[in-house]
Amino acid sequence: MIRIENVTKTYSTDVTALRDASFEVNKAEFVFLVGPSGSGKSTLLRLMSRQERPEKGGVWVAGRNIVEMPNNKIPELRRKIGNIFQDYKLLLNKTVFENVAFALEVIGKPKQVIRQQVPQVLEIVGLEDKADRFPHQLSGGEQQRVSIARAFVNRPLILLADEPTGNLDPGTGEGIMRLLDRINTTGTTVVMATHDQRIVNQMRKRVIQLDRGVIVRDQHRGVYD
Amino acid sequence: MFSRITYVFREMWASLSRNLTLTVAAVITATVSLFLSGLTLLIQEGFDNQLSAWTKGVRLLVYVDNDATPEQLKVFTDALTQAKAEGTVVKDFNYCDVACSVDVAHKLYAGDPTAIELYNDKTTPSFFRVIPVNQSSATQLNQLAERLHGLPKVNAVVSPDQMITTLSVLKGFVGVRSLIMSIVLLLAAVLLIWNAIRTAMFARRREIEVMKLVGATNWFIRLPFMLEGLVTGLIGGLIGGGALLAVNQDWTDGITTRFPANSGLAAFVATGSTPWSIALAMVALGALVGAIGSATAAGRFLDV
Repeated sequence: MIRIENVTKTYSTDVTALRDASFEVNKAEFVFLVGPSGSGKSTLLRLMSRQERPEKGGVWVAGRNIVEMPNNKIPELRRKIGNIFQDYKLLLNKTVFENVAFALEVIGKPKQVIRQQVPQVLEIVGLEDKADRFPHQLSGGEQQRVSIARAFVNRPLILLADEPTGNLDPGTGEGIMRLLDRINTTGTTVVMATHDQRIVNQMRKRVIQLDRGVIVRDQHRGVYD
Repeated sequence: MFSRITYVFREMWASLSRNLTLTVAAVITATVSLFLSGLTLLIQEGFDNQLSAWTKGVRLLVYVDNDATPEQLKVFTDALTQAKAEGTVVKDFNYCDVACSVDVAHKLYAGDPTAIELYNDKTTPSFFRVIPVNQSSATQLNQLAERLHGLPKVNAVVSPDQMITTLSVLKGFVGVRSLIMSIVLLLAAVLLIWNAIRTAMFARRREIEVMKLVGATNWFIRLPFMLEGLVTGLIGGLIGGGALLAVNQDWTDGITTRFPANSGLAAFVATGSTPWSIALAMVALGALVGAIGSATAAGRFLDV
């Protein structure tokens, strides 16, 4: 599903975010990217959704090298990828329903599809009774659930999550992980960057560890360190 | 397709009403800038009209001694008739005999009894009033004056060449400066509208980022913003253009009712279709600048 091949990414002459990184992620796999701040986890996620381009190497997503992909094909790529962020990136002036529907509206889905799919995904994330609330009326965990619903509503092939539990207490974080695990079992590939040792150790999924831009460990059913 | 159109208009309206303060600021900026730009163009038009009116009144006066015989006067008339037939220098002419000349002088000095006493059929010469073909060429007027001066019994030739020169210089001076002012104000209008819309766009950068990440195309993202900018510019242009027409009407009414017709200022107005053309140009400019401004401003936040 995702193939990273000899990727090097530098931000300036003295900042190398990734150095000669290579790995593959299969369909329906759940992968943790771990490592200290500045180790290159977020850069890897940004490369996978073509928010960044590497100086060297190739990035294949769903069989296509996205480094060479023309700009007008990027929206099509991003419709296959859902993004989840630590700060949720919700639109504060839209309700829960509108935030989720927004992801379908802006790619031109008809109203009847939106009316059908949004309640379904809200039920999956357990927010069916809070569809009319605004983000400021929700807890952090609920806001992250909205963010997941928005990322998943278009049924993407891949979910990229950048520290999704970073702003949440352990109990709420576990709830979010259960949700991501459930989404993963539907066949969606999940790649998640995290610092949360406890969650990684609990989930026992594949762990790719980075240190100063270099992959130092790639372990199946791994732990944090 | 219908849902996309609905979406574009709904988002445009939502954004306009949500960022009401910024929207109002952008509209006011557009209104004031476009009004000032249009006003400069109207002033330029009024000034052009006034100069043209002044130039149209140019006449060459050839005063003839009172003791000129009818034969000598006929020499004059024949020379001018021939010049008129040539059609290059003299457009038309007429003769004002002594009685007519005294009458003109009395009208001119109606309020000055002492001066009126001085102008009688003994002291006042008759004159030929010559209308040149090119009323704005001081050189041609001088050549014509010299040619007429050579005829018999000529008392004096009064040529307004000095006035023509002054008017030509004035036209060039004011024309160039008001044109520069118009261009500067138009550029200022463009930049101010662009900046106001950019500020509004900045407030929505998160929305744009989300749209990009969920796979919206650049055009789909740009469209509501472009429409928003277009509507902002259009409203600014409509108010500015309307204000321009109202101010022009007020000015035209003031000139015609408060100043006498012979005050020499009657032409200092923009009439006919010109004010409407300028107002419409300002509306179109507002819409265009708004749309382009928001499209380029949106582009800045599209690099996700």
